[in-house]
Amino acid sequence: MHTSAQTHVECDVSLVALVGNPNTGKTTLFNALTGYRQRVGNYPGITVDRKSGLLRGLTSGKPIEVIDLPGTYSFSARSADEAVVLDVLAGHRTETGSPDVIVVVLDSTNLARNLFFASQVFELGKPVVLVLNMIDLAEARGLNIDAGLLSRELGVPVIPIVATRQSGVDELRRVIADSLDAPAPQNFAPLPESVRVEVERLMDSIVKSETGADYAPCRTESLQALLDPGGFHETRLIRQGGSWVEGELAQRRERIRATNESLAEVEARVRYSWIGKILERTVTQRQAGHHSRSELADRFLTHRVLGLVVLAVIMGGCFQSVYVWAGPVMDAIDGTFSALGAWAGKTIPAGAFQSLLADGIIAGVGAVFVFLPQILVLFLFIAVLEDCGYMARVAFLLDRWMGLLGLSGKSFIPLLSSFACAVPGIMATRTIEDRRDRFVTILIAPLMSCSARLPVYVLLIGAFVPKRDLLGGFVSLQAVALLAVYAVGFLTAIAAALILKMTMLRGAPHPFLMELPSYKRPSARTVFYRMYEQGKVFCLSAGTIIVAVTVVVWALGYYPRPASISIAHDAQRQAARGAFEAQLPEVAATDTADNPAIQPDGAAAQSRTELEERLAQINRSESGAYLRQSILGRMGRWVEPVVKPLGWDWRIGTAVIASFPAREVVIATLGTIYNLGGEQDETAGSLRQKLHSTKWPDGRPVFNLAVAFSIMVFFALCCQCGATLAAIKRETKSWRWPIFTFTYMTSLAYLGALLTYQILVRFV
Amino acid sequence: MGLLDLQAGDCGIVEGIGGSQQACKRLADLGFVPGAEITMIRPGSPCIIRIGGRCVGLGAEHQRAILLNAV
Repeated sequence: MHTSAQTHVECDVSLVALVGNPNTGKTTLFNALTGYRQRVGNYPGITVDRKSGLLRGLTSGKPIEVIDLPGTYSFSARSADEAVVLDVLAGHRTETGSPDVIVVVLDSTNLARNLFFASQVFELGKPVVLVLNMIDLAEARGLNIDAGLLSRELGVPVIPIVATRQSGVDELRRVIADSLDAPAPQNFAPLPESVRVEVERLMDSIVKSETGADYAPCRTESLQALLDPGGFHETRLIRQGGSWVEGELAQRRERIRATNESLAEVEARVRYSWIGKILERTVTQRQAGHHSRSELADRFLTHRVLGLVVLAVIMGGCFQSVYVWAGPVMDAIDGTFSALGAWAGKTIPAGAFQSLLADGIIAGVGAVFVFLPQILVLFLFIAVLEDCGYMARVAFLLDRWMGLLGLSGKSFIPLLSSFACAVPGIMATRTIEDRRDRFVTILIAPLMSCSARLPVYVLLIGAFVPKRDLLGGFVSLQAVALLAVYAVGFLTAIAAALILKMTMLRGAPHPFLMELPSYKRPSARTVFYRMYEQGKVFCLSAGTIIVAVTVVVWALGYYPRPASISIAHDAQRQAARGAFEAQLPEVAATDTADNPAIQPDGAAAQSRTELEERLAQINRSESGAYLRQSILGRMGRWVEPVVKPLGWDWRIGTAVIASFPAREVVIATLGTIYNLGGEQDETAGSLRQKLHSTKWPDGRPVFNLAVAFSIMVFFALCCQCGATLAAIKRETKSWRWPIFTFTYMTSLAYLGALLTYQILVRFV
Repeated sequence: MGLLDLQAGDCGIVEGIGGSQQACKRLADLGFVPGAEITMIRPGSPCIIRIGGRCVGLGAEHQRAILLNAV
């Protein structure tokens, strides 16, 4: 992940800010203007990404940096995340510097509402360029927009474009370059005298106050603080200026109210009526607007019953594709990394470096990259559904149901995605604007049973749940057991969401208010870019952390390596080879003399196979002995008293500890620990048999149904995934939340496993 | 008259916005200003309405906040 360490040097690079309402095609335009060479960084203190890139296709002049800002309807803000647009435009954000030109992207089919935000931008005192995006759609709907007249009325350049087809983008580049030193707009929506006077007075009294020299709000900020009681701008002004600002605001508001103005409505009324007059002169409607096709589709797609059925079908198809399409690629990646590890094992002389490379780094990197196909396929679907406008309908359909959990409809897709993998699920929470809803969704996403947990369930259920049919053969007991383990994670997530909404992330329920954009054909460019971006983010941030942790676990499992173990096993190997060689002449003799029917080398080959098996067994016993001696093995025995109440022995404890960076390694670790070598598959009969025959020192078997369920419940509830924690850190921009997630999930997992074992051991 | 009284296909003209200050400002900025025409597309909670040529989903709280006049 890049940081925003790069400083904006004003004399070398000009800065252009791209702003606009949501769903205006702003990101598509940003991609078209900058190409794919973009930098993603942070704004300290908030969770919004700082996306910027250099303007492509400039023939002369100094370079121009374009910065993409989040879509917004208004400068009125409820959180620091929402305020970032005004902060950047007003030059408050030191990471970016003050923009030289502001480009406002408008949806040509919805000019009135889009110009509301533009009219707020006009008042910032900077050169503005208006972009009429989706002009083709407006024309198709019979809207005739006179861009030239609109430009003269507003006193700013107005450029019609179609960002998805890149038409008009070249002209826009030229106009942006020409506007760097252009004058700021001079035509404003005429706010009532009383409002203007009170804004001036408010700014004046803040500047003259003790703290005013450190912090002077701009006119727009003061206006929003005044007109939006309880909003972010008011809160920040009071925090920075001191409590006297509160009284000052109350007094100014009282004076505005005295002129019979409503604080909430005055700005909207004035701006919309100003815009309405301008649009009357510049836009003509050739025929009655027909939104009918989109609305016709919505008759089915947002129907309370039919809509849910369609959604279920789409989601089913999506998840099926995630498995079907990603499966072969994942196998190929897995195979490639295994082959690479085997190759490294063969070519590099045995020793710590070989093991670090093969078992540590290659295995670790492979464990990360194996998820990449799933992430890309999932984001292909999310990007298509989002870009065509369907995602807003999903949020609408499920708002009522998610509301029961205290969440909004927008949490549904991220949570559903988390059943495949929590990492893309957590990344998909970006569409949730409300910070609390987003954080609750992020924190419960890892409780959804992801695909990496499935091998553990399959192994343990296959080994310990009897194969029995229920309900006359319709349902198998094993399937019920699998469903039960999935339900443990899901039900815990519901409880966790309710508790988090009542405690740490408490807040007034967020009422549903969402534009349902007209359906449109998704742009291949936007969809591709979304996949590329998510894939890159995943590889960079999750990759670095998980590889580091894997190397640490490798080191703990590899060191120390006392010479006595290799000496003892070398002796065993020597003995086995000696026995084989001693047998050889004898075998050859028997074959030729007594039993000519048998091929002369048949018995020899058989005993060579026996020798190879014996040597492999000695090697496995050697790696098992090393593991027992290693720090990890000692930790396993050290935690035995802790895990004993869960029904586990030190070997299970070790395997579970080793699987904290990535839970999917547990089967390989169990395999190693049970002296079976590292290549254990969940279907391997031998590991299953070995589990059955493992005994406590007193001869009781270690594994039984209660232990199997205690392990499964632990895996269902525990956050054994470095990639997930890295994703949480990335999305919340703080270590606090991954640490919290890890702590609460590990505690829950331990308690859950303890309860499961202690109850089952008494009744089964 | 309020939004909750509208059946699918019914129209109304925004008279004003009540409810909490914050919700008011947000709704007003989105175009829910006195004089704007609203068509109910799908009643319920949340409902879908058409305002200014676009569709918006609104939860019950916002629906209660918007006061309407008959067309």
